[in-house]
Amino acid sequence: MTTPAGSADTNLPQTGPSAYDDRRPPERELLDDCVHCGFCLPTCPTYQLWGEEMDSPRGRIYLMDLAQKGEIGLEGPFTEHIDQCLGCMACVTACPSGVQYDRLLESVRPQIERNVERTPSDRLFRNAIFALFPYKRRLRAAALPGAFYQRLRRVPAVAKLAEKLPGRLAAMESLLPPVSVREAFARLPTYTPAVGERRARVALLSGCVQDVFFHRVNEATVRVLAAEGCDVLVPAEQQCCGALELHSGREESALVRARREIAVFEKLDVDHVVTNVAGCGSSMKEYGHLLSDDPEWAERAAAFSARVRDVHEVLADLGPRAPRHPFRGRVAYHDACHLGHAQKVRAQPRAVLRSIPDLQLVDLPEAELCCGSAGIYNMVMPDAAAELGARKAANVRSVAPDVIVTANPGCLLQIGKHLGTTDGAADGGPIPLLHPMQLLDASIRGVPVPRS
Amino acid sequence: MTTSTTLRPDDLRSVRDALLDTAGTVSITGSGTAADWAGPLGPVDAVLDTTALTGVLTHNPGDMTVSVLAGTPLRTLAEELASHGQHVSFDAARVADGATVGGLVATADAGPAALVFGSLRDLVIGVTMVLADGTVSRSGGHVIKNVAGYDLAKLLHGSYGTLGVLVEVVLRLHPVPKRSATLVVDCSLDEAREHAASLLGGQYEPAALEWISDDGHGQLIVRIDGTADAVSGRLQRLREVLGSGARDASDTGPDAGPDSGADSGADPWARHAALVRGAPGLAVLRIGAKPSLLPGLITDLRADTVTAGLGTGVATVALDPEAVADAHALVHAAGGTSVLRTRPPGSDVPAWGPPPSALAVLKAVKNEFDPLGRFGPGRFAPWLVTPHDAEGSR
Amino acid sequence: MALDGGVRQAFERVLDPADVISNPVKCRAYECDGLTGYRVVPELVLLPRDAAQVAAAVRVCAEHRVPFVARGAGTGLSGGALPVADGVVISLARLKRVLEVDPVNRRAVVEPGVTNLEITAAAAPHGLYYAPDPSSQQVCTIGGNVAENSGGAHCLKYGFTTNHVLSFEVVLPDGSVVTLGTDTGEQAGPDLRGVFLGSEGTLGITTKIVVRLLRTPESVRTLLADFPSVAAAGDVVSDIVAAGIVPAAVEMMDTLAIEAAEEAVHAGYTVGVPAALVVELDGPVEECDVQFEQVKEICDRHGCTRLHIAGSPEERAAIWRGRKAAFAAVGRISPDYFVQDGVVPRTRLAEVLGRIADMGADAGIRVANVFHAGDGNLHPLVLYSAAAGETERAEKLSGQIAELCVELGGSLSGEHGIGTDKACSMPKMFSRDDLAVMARVRSAFDPQGICNPGKVLPTPRLCGERPGKYKPHPLEEAGVIERL
Repeated sequence: MTTPAGSADTNLPQTGPSAYDDRRPPERELLDDCVHCGFCLPTCPTYQLWGEEMDSPRGRIYLMDLAQKGEIGLEGPFTEHIDQCLGCMACVTACPSGVQYDRLLESVRPQIERNVERTPSDRLFRNAIFALFPYKRRLRAAALPGAFYQRLRRVPAVAKLAEKLPGRLAAMESLLPPVSVREAFARLPTYTPAVGERRARVALLSGCVQDVFFHRVNEATVRVLAAEGCDVLVPAEQQCCGALELHSGREESALVRARREIAVFEKLDVDHVVTNVAGCGSSMKEYGHLLSDDPEWAERAAAFSARVRDVHEVLADLGPRAPRHPFRGRVAYHDACHLGHAQKVRAQPRAVLRSIPDLQLVDLPEAELCCGSAGIYNMVMPDAAAELGARKAANVRSVAPDVIVTANPGCLLQIGKHLGTTDGAADGGPIPLLHPMQLLDASIRGVPVPRS
Repeated sequence: MTTSTTLRPDDLRSVRDALLDTAGTVSITGSGTAADWAGPLGPVDAVLDTTALTGVLTHNPGDMTVSVLAGTPLRTLAEELASHGQHVSFDAARVADGATVGGLVATADAGPAALVFGSLRDLVIGVTMVLADGTVSRSGGHVIKNVAGYDLAKLLHGSYGTLGVLVEVVLRLHPVPKRSATLVVDCSLDEAREHAASLLGGQYEPAALEWISDDGHGQLIVRIDGTADAVSGRLQRLREVLGSGARDASDTGPDAGPDSGADSGADPWARHAALVRGAPGLAVLRIGAKPSLLPGLITDLRADTVTAGLGTGVATVALDPEAVADAHALVHAAGGTSVLRTRPPGSDVPAWGPPPSALAVLKAVKNEFDPLGRFGPGRFAPWLVTPHDAEGSR
Repeated sequence: MALDGGVRQAFERVLDPADVISNPVKCRAYECDGLTGYRVVPELVLLPRDAAQVAAAVRVCAEHRVPFVARGAGTGLSGGALPVADGVVISLARLKRVLEVDPVNRRAVVEPGVTNLEITAAAAPHGLYYAPDPSSQQVCTIGGNVAENSGGAHCLKYGFTTNHVLSFEVVLPDGSVVTLGTDTGEQAGPDLRGVFLGSEGTLGITTKIVVRLLRTPESVRTLLADFPSVAAAGDVVSDIVAAGIVPAAVEMMDTLAIEAAEEAVHAGYTVGVPAALVVELDGPVEECDVQFEQVKEICDRHGCTRLHIAGSPEERAAIWRGRKAAFAAVGRISPDYFVQDGVVPRTRLAEVLGRIADMGADAGIRVANVFHAGDGNLHPLVLYSAAAGETERAEKLSGQIAELCVELGGSLSGEHGIGTDKACSMPKMFSRDDLAVMARVRSAFDPQGICNPGKVLPTPRLCGERPGKYKPHPLEEAGVIERL
């Protein structure tokens, strides 16, 4: 402590063996990128809520560093504060030093899953979530009114949760919106030809949650892509992309899904693999990195990731061709974190929306702040998610939009829940909450904008 | 009144020696332009006259800073700086009377230019002082931007000679505006308030904005500073806001316009300065309050003469000495501050209103800097009662 | 020695027990601020929710003589919020309400945890803004700004925090609550507000702050100009000043800093040029236009190789984003760096930059320069690799640069503060008596010595029993000032 002016060693000493196992621990260079400037604090949802250093990106990286230096273990506070991260990646956008917090989080969450024993109730709940969400068939069962308990009891993890913690099961159920039987069981055509001259050939990821609860969004997406000159392939054998598991640290099962999806899509002769789900896009773009040390899959994964595009990227690149009908109204675009922060796709959705004549695009206050959905976050951290949801809803109301659009099913569910159904829109009714593809589809087809 | 020794040191060393070689109470004086401001000075054993501490120590025009001995009249300094196109952006009325730099700091004085530049607390970047025990202390420095150590110059600002003797002062300079033009409007306080709201609420950037009143004759004075051509355009915009009553009153500076057409009448700023000085038989109270509350306060005070900074919230009012105690109370009820400046000789007028919440800190600072209470006994009575106050005349 | 369990209970009685953090792992997240080289784990971290809780917590500290350190966003670069062993950290992060925006009187009343930029955001609907703009303004808090007397790029024309804060409510180290300052520039008695501002958290904790707001300028003109040498850019600054122009900001960056900033934000800086200036003028349209032409002409006269004028608010924002992110962005071109904050008289800029370059070359260490050219406040970034064993050399160079600034008649710190980092260097700038008088001020506010101890003033514990032989100040040697 007797250094001369302005000088200080910025590195923590290595005082013991690293607390991480040797399977992809956070890379030292990535940890060292953080200069502790704190520019991430204002954009971090949990820091905004609680004002605690440990629940800021800077604090979490500090804990990651301490664990690597052998100063602290993974149990207890480390797991608590990493679990509390929404993974929204707003900090990645804010960071002037280029810290790859996404990579760091992606490497420490599996460490926790492997090395830290969760409490029995937490384990039960997480098992149930991952026994349900990635499976279209089970989701369809869950979506059917009244059928939830009966159908899902057949899944052992869900049965166990229902037995031990019925309250949390009910909470999980409450997040799932009602869906008609027709929509829940509808299938997308496996091939839809381009309207007019073909400009591209794409394969669409139909998704799990998206295809069950937002099938109409998938339908709109296929119509828009076709109208804009794309042949659209929807391979029937595709399954969940593994995003929810990946973002929760369940790396092994996520990678099994990743390999399967790669195998399904790599056979197709397409320019792009397209998704209309922010979370799926960000994980599929990561496959190349995640499988980089798997000799059999590294190259295939990299090739796959290189072809992945969000639907807005494809449309913005192609430029509008199909004639649009005007939409006279204020449209608030909510940047899904996994699109804006994780994939840095911010301009393209706006450009696509602006291609609709007369549409007035409005920005939301605190646009960078997560709505609280964040994958499974609103199920495992319901209080924090609810506060963020209410804050996002208030920000949405403050700009009095006629329609809100966002490109992620989680955000649609979360914002919808917190906006409620009673107030908002200029006509006194609930504010319609849509995927941008639904709005664009209505504009191209010249039909009224759907209410949901 | 006991006889007291007069000490007239002319450098840092002799200031220190003067304090070490004497015992007892000391009053610090400069050119005497504010001798009766604040609390009445109790009897002192010695008078430390700073008027021989004069002269510029360093002035590097490219750095826009100057260091001077504290007894230098600001007026004299201004003359030296003028040839470089620079000045201290400070225009208290007393400057013209020969007030010293140190005295202006110690009395926390300021003029209309405070609207943009603040008071000397905002322009002093370094000081050297001598404490009552002869300790020489420097703080700040010779650069505009500097956060090393506590800023002791601030403590001396408004200390009325009770904490230490200012010996050297380093000031930040600004370029003399190429052109300064003043408009006046004859108007009531209410009308002036409306005008001020328009000017401060729009893009006019007044350099000074004062309402003055004398014998019921009110006048709003607005000055803008800038470059020759730009000022012409801005004046036009000002006239549009102020209406047909606005008259050109003065136009000065190296690039003052030939088209100025200023009235040959008296300079309104000279009249302003005269009103700040007060009038025979009256007490002068300096008050500060939120600008929105100031006009109401002035009305309630029923002052004989007024100068009111409608943007700064600082006013100088001349009152019947009998009214001063109530005036303190009124200003403080509005959350403001008040200090007595001059008062008619012999009148017993309270200098200060209710004590500030931080009185304990003020006492502790006084105790640390001047535990024996040598400097300026009586200046902060009744807030500070030092050992010498206690055994003094009261 | 750990804190008595009774003390923790005393804190838990005045705060929600959940807001008293004692888990040592959690406390480690608070062990350093923006300057990570100094680390001390606090015994407890307190997260009060309002001013009354802050005062109650400080009263507990005073009663039990527990040292405390206030912390805002922890962005300080001098270790000013470094915790004290066996002491507590009082975080103001939850006091973040904007209590009032008063457009008529052009002021805002805010809690200390509000960020600098949030004040401007709250004022913007009224056409007003808060002028001081430290580079970290999006994250640093106003409470921290008051403690550090923060500056920023625009303080050349508009001044520092001290010129823009009218008054504040303070919890003194004995737990009593007072107000320093008034509703106007007028003061009754010595300017205690002024001495508190910039005291680096050693005199008390602010809990409510009244700031002045300025009207958003009618016109803002920003230009980015490239120059063939740092000296040419420096001459431009001198000529602008000589022309009687007071720009809102004049910032200079050298090759390395430009490279880092451009990589971070892609703001349109020219990678590879030796020096770039950002000059901003603001004010009435007429004045801006006249002066902008003069500035352009001055740039041309000194061999400007490219002059880019921000054509839109977005372009202007991009230029500033590049400048303000420059420190952190240096992380992209060097694994480790020290940032300095010395000030020299503006007329000695060229000299000091030349000498820094020579010193860097001698030490075999790269130095990037990004600084407030208008007021001579340098921010040399000493780039090194700890892994390559360069720490010691870099540290030495960094210290030499600070001392060089003092030698040239300047200061150790223009805006980052003395904190822990430079406390031991204070005798390079101030005499024993100067420092003793500062200590008297501290003792007037904090007779028990429990409020952020060990910061600003050198202590034997921090700097060794003998804080080093006194060396005459260069101004003294030159006969400019005298020391008795």
